Amino acid sequence: MKELDPILHSQLRLAVMSILMNVDEADFVYLKEQTESTAGNLSVQLDKLSNAGYITVTKGFVGKKTRTTCQVTEQGRKAFEEYVEALKAYLNL
Amino acid sequence: MEEKKMTEKESLELITAMIQRTRERYVGDGNILLMWGYLTVIVTALVWIMLITTHNPAWNWLWFAIGIVGGIATPIMSKKSDLKNGVKSYSDKITSQIWTTVGLASVVATLFCFGFALKGFNPWGMMFVIPLIIVPMAEIAQGIIVKEKSLIAGGAIGLCVGLFTFCCIVSNARLLINWFLPLFMFAFGCMMIIPGHIINRKAKMQR
Repeated sequence: MKELDPILHSQLRLAVMSILMNVDEADFVYLKEQTESTAGNLSVQLDKLSNAGYITVTKGFVGKKTRTTCQVTEQGRKAFEEYVEALKAYLNL
Repeated sequence: MEEKKMTEKESLELITAMIQRTRERYVGDGNILLMWGYLTVIVTALVWIMLITTHNPAWNWLWFAIGIVGGIATPIMSKKSDLKNGVKSYSDKITSQIWTTVGLASVVATLFCFGFALKGFNPWGMMFVIPLIIVPMAEIAQGIIVKEKSLIAGGAIGLCVGLFTFCCIVSNARLLINWFLPLFMFAFGCMMIIPGHIINRKAKMQR
């Protein structure tokens, strides 16, 4: 049986990817609220997903405040789909 | 939420829960619709009053205030709305692209009208057909995408008025200001103002 992707098989990273798979883009504040995570932890997990090439993180400015937006990449989309298929196989669905 | 390992079952449950949360976001806001609706109705009323009282056709230049004010205000309001929501869904993206296409079509139609006017024709009736055919079709499409019946119904009323206007123009029936401009305002009330208020009320109830 295919091994579950270790990048995705983690609670917060999987939650972020599940959200991003369903929207075009989401900002840091929205992800923090939806995943009920701390800013520090979320930031670390976003970096891991970004380094794996699963998401793109764009930092911009709105007035004087920074705004970080995230989007899933084609590679991330493929990895997520494969992860869900692997889950189904493990669970005999 | 902690960064911890999960069982396969927990993973699937988490994915389902997150998908559910992204679907629970409110229907959006109707402020852009309201802005276009009130702007069009106010400018139309102003043109109507000025034409009746002064009989000076130069007041028709006021129509361009709709495109200029709306064209400037829309991207500002849209950006503000995106920032407030923190998320842009695929339906947001599609509807945004539909309205951008409508905007570009309106600009191109205006340029054509200017071109024909310079050649001595009177193409300005076309400028009523654009907002009463292309806009309602875009609105119906948006209503179908976001599953909002008021947009579909409002768009359908606008489209009926648009097709009637088109028939009048093709048949050389005159669009007299005393009945056509009130009809134009009625169409925009149904297309923009009523759905805008309905959407805002729904958004308020969901918060």
